[in-house]
Formats: sequence, C-alpha cells, structure tokens
Amino acid sequence: MKISFSVNGNPVNVDVDPETPLLWVVRDELKLKATKFGCGKAVCGSCSLHINGDLVRSCSYPVKYAEGKQVTTLEGLSESEKKLHPVQEAWMEINVPQCGYCQPGFMMAAAKLIQEIPNPTEEDIRKNISNICRCGTHPRIIKAILKAAELNKALIAES
Amino acid sequence: MSTENNNPTPKKKRKFSRRKFFKRGGIILGTTLIGVYFGRNIIRRKVAQIAGDMDLPLGIMNMEPDFWFEIMEDNTVLLKLAKMEMGQGIFTGAAMIAAEELGVTVEQINVQPATTKNGPTDMLGTGGSSSTSGMYTPLREVAATMREMLISAAAKIWNVDASTISVGSGILQSGLQQLSYAEVTQQTTEWVVPKTPALKPESEFQYIGKEYKRVDLKPKVMGESIFSIDMELPDMLYATILYCPYIGGTLKSVNSDDAIKHPGVVKVERSDDWIGVIAENRFASVMACRKLKAEWDVPKMWQQSDIDEMIKPENGVSFIKLQKDGSIDDLDKENTFAQTYNTPIGVHAQMEPNGTIAHVQGDKALIITGTQWADNVQGKIAKAIGIKKKNVEIKTTFLGGGFGGRYFQSTAPAAAKLSQLVGKPVHLLRTREEEFQNRYYRPPSHHKLRAKLSEDGMIETIDHVYGSADMAIKANAGDLVLKMLGADFAAGGHGTRVLYNIKNRHSKIVNCKLPFPTGIWRGVGQFPNTFAIESFIDELAIKAGKDPIQFRIDHLTDTGDPLIVRAKKVLETLAEKSGWKSPKREDIGRGVALCEDRKSFAAAMIEVKKVDGKIKVTRVVQVVDPGKIINPDGVRMQVEGATMMGISACLYEATYVKDSQFTATNYHQYPMAMLSDSPEIEVIFTEGSEKPYGVGEPPIGPVAPAIVNAIFDLTGERKRRLPLY
Ligand code: FES
Ligand code: FES
Repeated sequence: MKISFSVNGNPVNVDVDPETPLLWVVRDELKLKATKFGCGKAVCGSCSLHINGDLVRSCSYPVKYAEGKQVTTLEGLSESEKKLHPVQEAWMEINVPQCGYCQPGFMMAAAKLIQEIPNPTEEDIRKNISNICRCGTHPRIIKAILKAAELNKALIAES
Repeated sequence: MSTENNNPTPKKKRKFSRRKFFKRGGIILGTTLIGVYFGRNIIRRKVAQIAGDMDLPLGIMNMEPDFWFEIMEDNTVLLKLAKMEMGQGIFTGAAMIAAEELGVTVEQINVQPATTKNGPTDMLGTGGSSSTSGMYTPLREVAATMREMLISAAAKIWNVDASTISVGSGILQSGLQQLSYAEVTQQTTEWVVPKTPALKPESEFQYIGKEYKRVDLKPKVMGESIFSIDMELPDMLYATILYCPYIGGTLKSVNSDDAIKHPGVVKVERSDDWIGVIAENRFASVMACRKLKAEWDVPKMWQQSDIDEMIKPENGVSFIKLQKDGSIDDLDKENTFAQTYNTPIGVHAQMEPNGTIAHVQGDKALIITGTQWADNVQGKIAKAIGIKKKNVEIKTTFLGGGFGGRYFQSTAPAAAKLSQLVGKPVHLLRTREEEFQNRYYRPPSHHKLRAKLSEDGMIETIDHVYGSADMAIKANAGDLVLKMLGADFAAGGHGTRVLYNIKNRHSKIVNCKLPFPTGIWRGVGQFPNTFAIESFIDELAIKAGKDPIQFRIDHLTDTGDPLIVRAKKVLETLAEKSGWKSPKREDIGRGVALCEDRKSFAAAMIEVKKVDGKIKVTRVVQVVDPGKIINPDGVRMQVEGATMMGISACLYEATYVKDSQFTATNYHQYPMAMLSDSPEIEVIFTEGSEKPYGVGEPPIGPVAPAIVNAIFDLTGERKRRLPLY
C-alpha cells in the first residue's frame, strides 16, 4: 500500500505493508536510524518519535495511521547542528549518554515533556517519562531535562 | 614536551612504496615491530586472575604503532581501538591516554573500533573492567614510540639533532622550522623505530586526570548511525531466527508452509537447532517467523524448584577453596551464627538486541556486529561456514550496551550461514523475546555464611560457601583453560573471599550444574558475593552492638597490605563525608557496604524510605578508589551506572524457570529501575594508587547489601533473598 506523510518536514511516499510498524519504515525505508528498536512492545521507549506533535512509540504504530501526518524523529529535532534543540544542547552539557542506544527515545520524550510542562520539577520528570535505560544514565537524564527546560525558557523569552 | 630519551636505536628499517602510506585519505605508518609487552602465557594469567593477585592482562598482543594509529591528512590521528565502546567510556579514556604521549590534543584523536583487518586484535575481549588498567601503560608506550618515530623522521628532514625538536598539538618544531605530523608522515618513507621511550612523569600530565566529556558525545546526542543495528550493505536482506524456546529442547519438526507464503519472504532455512526466515524487510521476516509451526522435543520439564535445589552448594559438582586461613572447626560447635543468602537468575537486557550483518562471498566473509570479543567471533564464523579465519573480516561498531551479554554467544555464525545460502548480505536481528528467552544468563547463587564472634564483639571465625554455576569459560576459552583451573570461576571468583582480616577465614566457590547456559554479567561474582558477605557482616555488627562502619574498620587491621590501607581509607571517607553520623529522620533507614574488585574499592552509604508501602532508595553516596583516575567524569558515569544497575537488580530483576521456559519474555516481565527509582547519587574519589584499575563493575557490589542493610535499619526486617519485589 502507498502511504504518504511527512518526516522532519519532508514529504515522503512509501509502498509497504500497511501494518508495518512506523519504526521499521523510518529506519529501513527512509534510512533515519536514530529511532531505535528495543522491545517491539511499547514498553521501553527506544522507538519514541513525534507524530503531529504527540509522543508515540513507533514500534507499535502501524504506518498506515501515519497517512497525511507529520512525523518528527530525533534527526529533525534540532534546526541544525549549529542550533541545537534545548534538549540536545542540555544533553551535551550534562554529558548524558553512555552506550547511547536509549538516548534518542529519551530525548524525544524530554522534548515533549518540556513542551507540556515548561517548568518541570524532578518529580514531574520521574513520573512522566517511563523509558528504559540499561546503562544507568537516569540521574543525568533528570538533570539534563531540568537544564533543557531552563534553556527552553530562555529561548522563549528571547523570541 | 620532553624529548629526552630520544635516542633511537634502529631495530628495523623497512622501505615501502609511497602508495602504501596513503590510504583512505589518510596515511598509514610503515610496519614496525615494537615487541610484546606481556607474558605470553595467557593461561597462567587466567589462573592468576582467580587468585585475584594479578591485574588482568591486556589481550592485545600486537603493539605495532601503525596498527593502532593512522595519521590523517588533516593532521588528526585515527586511533583504532580493539577494546569496544559499549558505554563505559573507553574511547574517551583511550584518547586521553594516547594524546598524553603522542603530543597531540585529545580533540585531535578520532577513536574508531578496530576491524580485524586494519587494527590490533584482542584475544581477551572487552570486559572484566580490564580495558583501562590493561591499556594504561602499553597505549602510552605505543604512543610515545610513535612520537619518537615522528621526531626522528623530522630530524632527518631538517637535518638537525632530534633533541632540538619539540612537539605539541600535532606539530613538530625545531627552531623556527615547523611541520605537522601529517606533513612529516607524507615526506617519510623510512621509519626508525626507537626502543620504547621512557614515559612522562605524572607531574607533566596534561590530560590524564582532567575532566573530559565523552569523545562520542556528539554522535550519540545527534543519533548518528553508530550501532550494528544501524548498518546496511547494498542489496541487504533481513532475517529473524526462531530458536528453541525450551531449556534443553531440540527441534523435532517444523512446518514452514505458511511462513514461506508470507509476502516478502525469500527463504526459510532449517538448521540443527533453529529455523531462519529471510525476507525483504524486517517486518516480513518477523511476521513470517511467527507463522512457523515448530515442534520441540523437551526432555525434561524444569521448574524453578529444581534450579533452587541444584544451585545449593551441597549439590555442586566441584569446588575451589579460595581462602583457607586458620581453622573453622569451631563453627561446628555452638554459638555459631549462620545465614543463607540467595540471588536469582539475571538477564543482561542491554537495550540493543544482538544482531549481525553478514556478507559471505565465496571463501570470504564480512561481518558487522556488536560484540565484546571480535577475535572469538572470527573463529566461530570460520568454523560455521568452513572458510579460513583470516578470510573473515569483523567490523565492530559501538555497542548498545554490553554488561557481559555480548561476550560469548554471537548471532554472527547463523547470519553468515544465512548469507552464504542466499548469496547476499543478511541482517539478522534477534527479537527482544529471543533476547530474554534464549541467551546465557547471570547464574543464580546460594551463599552459606557462618561466623563466630569473640566476647569483645570481633569476628573470630568466618566461612563463606558460594554455590553458583558456569561463567562460560569452559565453552568459550577452551578445554585447556578449564583443565588448568579445575573449575570454571574466572569471573565468579570475584568477591568470594572475605576481605577483612579475620584469623580463621575460609571461603570456597562451588560449581553447580544448571541445565541452561550461564555466563558473565556486570560484576557476575561481585554482585551476589558482596550482597551475601556484606549483609552478613552487617548482621554481625548488629549482633556485636557496633556501628557498622566502625565494625568493618575494626576488622581491617593494618598488616602493611596496601589493599587494606585503601579499603580503610574508603570506609573512613564514607563515614566522614556521607552524612552517616549526622542525625536522620525517623522515616529514613541507612545502610553501608564495602567491596573490593580487581584492586578497585567501592563503599556505599544508602538511604531508603517507604513510599506507599514500598522501599525507595532516596540517596546514595559512593566512595570509590579505582586507583589512578584517567577521566573523573568518566568514572563518575560508571559509578552512577553501576549504582542504578545495582538498585535495579536488588529491587526488581529476576527471571524464573517454569515448565522449562524463562518467565520473562520482554521488559514488562523483567522490571528494571526507571527514572522514578533514580536517587540522588554522589560520587567521592579516593585515589589510592598510581595505577588505574577497573571501575565498570566494582561499584555495583556495595549497592544491594547497602540497600538491605538500610531496610533493616528502617524496619528491623532482614532481607536475604533477591530481588526484593
Ligand atoms: S521498541 Fe518501541 S517501546 Fe520498545
Ligand atoms: S545509555 Fe545505554 S541504555 Fe541508556
């Protein structure tokens, strides 16, 4: 089946089994590899991306539902390498990743969180993000999200 | 930078055609032989590891600088590292160590995983917290050798005495003349290899010991394709394999009619013990794999109660005594305090599932895989598809976590077979279900501890008996090693011995046979042993009516042993800086524990409280002495990671055996610590040695016992079986 949607602002058309999880379409058809496969069951959050601004676990989202929608992956989160999204900037500053595999999913969740809750407390972060990290970057993720929220506020104040 | 010792003794001069120097836009230094830095007898060292008296050797035998470094045209240096980056930060540490002697900045070094073709091979693999300690001296020596080679080449170009040349930031300078490393390399056809130069004294270190961000930070934040799951080859097909879901089961029959009809499926292949489905895309291979109708012969329906029984030391098949000081006969008499502790079967659960891209063409194979032990994979492939080992090229990538789970079993042989079959590259990826149900596991353990206290509340006699299973040395390091050892405890032996100076102290590790494969895991011995011993020590301290930290210090009497001095220092620092002695709220419990592993020490003070009836770890202070610290933030990360993994394994993690299957099939049945479990973590260092020791595993040791000791402090209830939930 032919399905059209946009990814990171670019229109795409794919011809795949409509039940294919969006994750595999993004990774293998569109060659955007930041979105990761962890569990395939919407449990770990490694495959998190945004669809029409909502946070979605793409391993459990058949591509047919993406028709006409706007998908953002980590590759499209920042405007450019020079102008990083506050989340990525904070991640750089706090030196968050270890193996790095879970990080794209966490960053996508974090970007959504600071949009919904611009002034998150540590408790807000703990409660609202249920991704899994095996390397134990948890303490730094919490710090980085607090930092990202700060950077984000500064950005909003500027504009 | 010092250029003394620049007294090159030509060992070998070789000429190469200029073409050989220019490769992939970069320049390769001519082949030179620096010599082997380590004892040749790996087996003896393996035995020595058991005794815990020696450092892990570096498994990399090839110390030729051109194997390690390439100087690129843009005057950066490519460092081809045979140690894998799986999150532990070894690439960053290695860049810092190499830059120190090479005369370049850390930023000028670009670390990439070595392939089996272009770089040094690593006979031992990456694990055992051994990479930094193993590489610290050799890597500096190779780097220093290369620096001296560049200096003598520049001396020849300028026709000056080498002692007039200084280096820094990849630039050589003599008087007013300057050349970059790249320029000198381009102009040099003949290299003079000096004897290994003396190394910089610590006082001149520019990078080692300073705070550096990870060298792989940017690609990881930008989500670049760095893992094996991200790799592609042209014309690649996708494969999923169905393995036997039963312990000890074998494949009886399979009906693949429906699978083969599934759209996109190219081939279904039955091997002895698995069935592979090759398709045009991942989804098709996964869906078709689900349509396989396989029948399995299951010789015995194992239950968890069988495993619990088999892991008891009295049911073991062989043992090694690791400590036998004085006599423990006393313990058979009255007034003996005895307890039993248990840890469950653990899963690695690294976030990137195991997978391989294989491309077999005739008698050659290209393998791209995330493994902790490329050398081992190379041999396995050669065997699996009947080609020469030297014709197998292994390219490794960043690993999406390792934790010991990518050491032994590999998906590469099966991927190679499938590629051979279809004549195309094949990307084999295990499903998360296979990762949970068909792997090797952290073996469960059963500990028996007995002790006697003297009248003044000191431990007079102590005995630790640790029942656990194979750590996978037998199957993978070869029979010879196993025979030399008598049993299979290279990894598990860690932490079995009692660290404290007690006159009568015995410890022994008992090898129990289990029906499923078991192997290394982050701190595979350290985690269960420290849980058992340090819980027991806490129980004894309370029996003796002593402060748990002071009780431990009292048993670290100074014998002149530097390890004891370091252990004491770690505990004293913990007592002083963790807030241990400060008044605490009633709803908080505090516990401590200490561990030594591979000459690194970690002591933790942990605070817990009850939230909605459930224990929550709220604060962790770890005092760590890993010897010389290369990158403080790198060590901090490892301590934080080990702390989280320790909390996770203590509170939640376990899989059980039911009807010959493992109960956890995916993360929802194998709960792990989440952001909501993340406490405040403070890491304090005491650098007790001039040599760096491992830090990936040691800090996992004290976490579980400090938690259960804190729970006792809070509730008066003693937990002796993990996990708690
Ligand atoms: S891969 Fe989608 S949530 Fe785990
Ligand atoms: S950084 Fe490795 S799983 Fe999170």
